[in-house]
Amino acid sequence: MSLASTASVKAPPSLLARLFARQELALLVCLILVIVFFSVTAENFFSMRNMTNVLGQASLALTAGIGCAIVFISGEVDISIGSLLATIALPLIIIMNDTNSLLLGVSGALLFGLIIGAVNGYLTAYAGINSLIVTLGTMFIMRGGVYLYTGQRAIPDDASLDSFIALSDGRLFNIIPYSAVIAIVLLAAFAYMMRHRPFGRQIYAVGGNPEVARLAGYDVRRVKFICFIISSLLATVAGIILAARVGSAQHTAGLNFEFQVVAATVLGGVSLAGGIGSLSGMALGVLILQFLSNGLRGLGLPTEWQLVITGMIIIAAVAFDEAKRRRAIGG
Amino acid sequence: MSELTHASAPRRFIGGQLLGSSQLVLGVILAVLCIAISIAAPQFYSEANIIAILRQCALVLIVASGMTMLIITAEVDLSVGASLAFVGCIGMAVLNSTHSLALGMLAALAFAGGVGLFNGLVVTRLRVNSLIATIGTMMMLQGGVYLFTREAVQNHNQLTSFTDLGAGYVGAVPVPVILAALIFAVAYVTLRFTTLGRYLYAVGANEKAVRLSGVRSERLKLFAFIVTGLCVGVAGMILSSLMNAGQPTAGRGFELTVIAAVILGGTSLLGGRGSLFGTLLGVLVLKVIDNGIIILGWNQDLQMVVPGVVIILATYLDIIRNRANVR
Repeated sequence: MSLASTASVKAPPSLLARLFARQELALLVCLILVIVFFSVTAENFFSMRNMTNVLGQASLALTAGIGCAIVFISGEVDISIGSLLATIALPLIIIMNDTNSLLLGVSGALLFGLIIGAVNGYLTAYAGINSLIVTLGTMFIMRGGVYLYTGQRAIPDDASLDSFIALSDGRLFNIIPYSAVIAIVLLAAFAYMMRHRPFGRQIYAVGGNPEVARLAGYDVRRVKFICFIISSLLATVAGIILAARVGSAQHTAGLNFEFQVVAATVLGGVSLAGGIGSLSGMALGVLILQFLSNGLRGLGLPTEWQLVITGMIIIAAVAFDEAKRRRAIGG
Repeated sequence: MSELTHASAPRRFIGGQLLGSSQLVLGVILAVLCIAISIAAPQFYSEANIIAILRQCALVLIVASGMTMLIITAEVDLSVGASLAFVGCIGMAVLNSTHSLALGMLAALAFAGGVGLFNGLVVTRLRVNSLIATIGTMMMLQGGVYLFTREAVQNHNQLTSFTDLGAGYVGAVPVPVILAALIFAVAYVTLRFTTLGRYLYAVGANEKAVRLSGVRSERLKLFAFIVTGLCVGVAGMILSSLMNAGQPTAGRGFELTVIAAVILGGTSLLGGRGSLFGTLLGVLVLKVIDNGIIILGWNQDLQMVVPGVVIILATYLDIIRNRANVR
């Protein structure tokens, strides 16, 4: 966003430069390049089945990434989402095993997520503790709590409800995985909120300049508080999908998940400094990383190489973006 | 985030006092912990237990010394855990093939210092946010260590000098503790009594002002990254000596423990504020908690829960104290 505006202040740049100044477009070109590259080199990559599979795999990071991006835009960070994935699976699975009701299980999980988000949000927005410290703390507390409660064993889903299993392997019209549908619907709804609803604009204002936002009459603390609740609730949805996929509450679920999501979000052009970025950028960041790891697997590369290459690409992409930004400003 | 700066940043800098407010809070927490644990379990004060605590502190303190410098310059390094594991494997492999502790140590320091240099260059030259840059490096190292070795690199050299590195004693003090004390002392003197140290604070507090006054701020940050890397090199060798193998899975979550200790010690993530003495207290608090949980026979999974509570609580108490001071 800021890129487009800084670019337009200068003398009219060429069409190509103008196109590339749009963060999302540059990301889209990257995504297409990745897909084209692997379609040519990897077998069975460019098939309907594989494409929709990747969408299904990406749905976790997409859903949680919405919350991550919103918290970033509000000028804070939330790194507790990985541990949250493991935590909310407990009420989900336990309630479902007891009551045989998906609705009750999901409600229980969402309630848990709501409480965690409220704690993170309260400690950050109202108690004034740095959000990295708060969510680092709750990350430890939740992971340790899950280990304590489960004795480091997985709790299997004994209810085996059809509706729950459908979350992992069901497909809309037999094509798109339900998990991807959920992610896309949530993405569209929140993207609309961020762009067109007053609350979305408030989040940008609060993240961009809290002092100005306060003078403009926005309740900065309340906005940040709600952002943390949104983040935790969306991570809860991702946790429910993950629990359906593995068919149990795993104590190790979501380890390092926060790093993946943060990396994809920043790759998508959402700034850690707040006020900058878009959900569509975040979504493209997630898809690029997901198609990349799927394609590398398709080439027969071991997981280790995927890690190495993903790490390099994250650094390169952010460095490239930074260079572009400086050129735009420096003229 | 912004409130934190408003509330506390200006006050801390003025005084040359030995104990900042957060150190005082931490000191009290530490004292209460020690008293409470020793009442519940008298063996807490046995010589063997104190040495065990110190030995566990050593690893964290070594890396935390570098990390404190780095965070004071307003950067952070999340790759230290992954680097720790990789260094142990490389050091052990070099030891096995050369049978020379000096060469093994050199290889470990060169590798870890190289990782620090890489991180520093990416952050200062390419201007990548250090949180993201070092997440990237972390992934590369985690993948890379498995490409280097699929399983643990066993100790085939049986060098006594290498075993002493982790398990040896000088008098009654374990070697790792002595190494940690040395590194801590050098870092402490550098930060507190040298121009370089003052510049490190200045870069973190206001990088632009430092640059305008003619100092190359990038070099200072690069320096802090390399120092952090070298500390990881030393810690990695000690760890592989203690485990008698280079474990590719070692060091998972180590970066978070180190950062938690530094933050707990009152060093601000926003840069420009903090002290090594606080870090020492932070490390001690975390490790005394760990130890207390073990000797009280509590569930060891509490070793994750309690530090989480302590980090949040200590930071909150610090904020309350600062608010009271401002009034």
